[in-house]
Amino acid sequence: MDNKISTRMMAEIGVAVALAVVLNFIKLWRMPQGGSVSLEMLPIFIVTFRWGIGAGMFSGLAYGLLQLMFGAYIIHPVQLILDYPLPYMILGIAGLFNIYKSGKISSVKLLGAVLTAGLARLVVHVLSGVIFFSSYAPEGQNVWIYSIIYNASFLIPTIIVNYLAVLIVIKALENNN
Amino acid sequence: MLKDITIGQYLARDSIIHALDARIKIIITTLLIIALFTIDSFVGFGFFLAFIFVIIFLAKISVAKVLRGLKPILILVLFTLLIHVFLTKGGQVLWSWKFISIESAGVYTGVFMVSRILILILFTSLLTLTTSPLQLTDGIEYILSPLKKVGVPASELSMMMTIALRFIPTLLEEADKIMKAQQARGADFESGNLIQRAKSLIPLLVPLFISAFRRADDLALAMESRCYRGGEGRTRLHELKYEYYDFIALLIVVILAVTVSFF
Repeated sequence: MDNKISTRMMAEIGVAVALAVVLNFIKLWRMPQGGSVSLEMLPIFIVTFRWGIGAGMFSGLAYGLLQLMFGAYIIHPVQLILDYPLPYMILGIAGLFNIYKSGKISSVKLLGAVLTAGLARLVVHVLSGVIFFSSYAPEGQNVWIYSIIYNASFLIPTIIVNYLAVLIVIKALENNN
Repeated sequence: MLKDITIGQYLARDSIIHALDARIKIIITTLLIIALFTIDSFVGFGFFLAFIFVIIFLAKISVAKVLRGLKPILILVLFTLLIHVFLTKGGQVLWSWKFISIESAGVYTGVFMVSRILILILFTSLLTLTTSPLQLTDGIEYILSPLKKVGVPASELSMMMTIALRFIPTLLEEADKIMKAQQARGADFESGNLIQRAKSLIPLLVPLFISAFRRADDLALAMESRCYRGGEGRTRLHELKYEYYDFIALLIVVILAVTVSFF
């Protein structure tokens, strides 16, 4: 990672992570088993598109660690990594995409970036679920199916809602600067 | 409303557990989690449970407060218990009806797994109940600092987390204010389906982000005018310092972890 981290970038990541915590309190929809739809990913995406993949992963890491401190459910050491820092860190891969088309933000390219990052997060959550079930549930259950259905049921709507929000907020921020 | 939300679980008390160094507490919790996975009998769990109650007592926290933290995980615990009771086979048949049967091995593993989950969660929540997020952030910075040599910017990470912690209450208040202002203009944040609710958040999101990023700008300017130049050589107001009781706590935990791993 780049050794020169500008003060401005740090301040922006710090504030964005605080925003993610705040947005996580505004639940758009709650699942009976605990998953919920919120805009917590939005600030991480904004940082990613403004500062690139490294900054995006950093903000995801900081956000995951904060969630961990606010009271995490740790049932397995590997689950800790897979549930807290990693799903948010991996959102940074959205920074690998070029979202501009002839100087303007392209909504199609943005969709590709958000979708890829969101699906990567889904993969991490599914793995976490599989590890939980395989260490706590009896053998012979089809853990992959359970985990995919459970996680996709709240992550797919989350990705869609976050994409729409990123589209609006990033344009508003560009016009404002 | 948003302003009344409590963030995190930290309960400030004047106790020996609260006074322990954050780094030591993180290390202790990690050690105990590992030890817990080496246990394969209920005697070991008994030791752990007794230890948890000693810590709760020393930390001057009420048991009810600690147990309340278990509530969101209850469904998961119940699910784990039931799936074992009905699906794990072996040992004596305790009860059967048509094709359903409960066998002793199922009950045993069910109760065993559930005990492990509950003890794990109790332990980790004790860490966050007795250590403030700011102390934990400092602790994480120290623990990650050997990784600075391979290029992990540990001090920058903890600075970002500290900034975030500082701004959470400010931004919560701001979000609350904007929501009220928009509601006064007729905005509706509470009803409709998922997409409608997401749409209704736009009048909140845009001003919130613009003002938050403006704050970040001001903050960066203020930091630079006070000569902030990154993590190296930064001094702090509250230095973490090891005391004799930190080492005693660590010693007790190492002894406990070694002892229980024999059960």
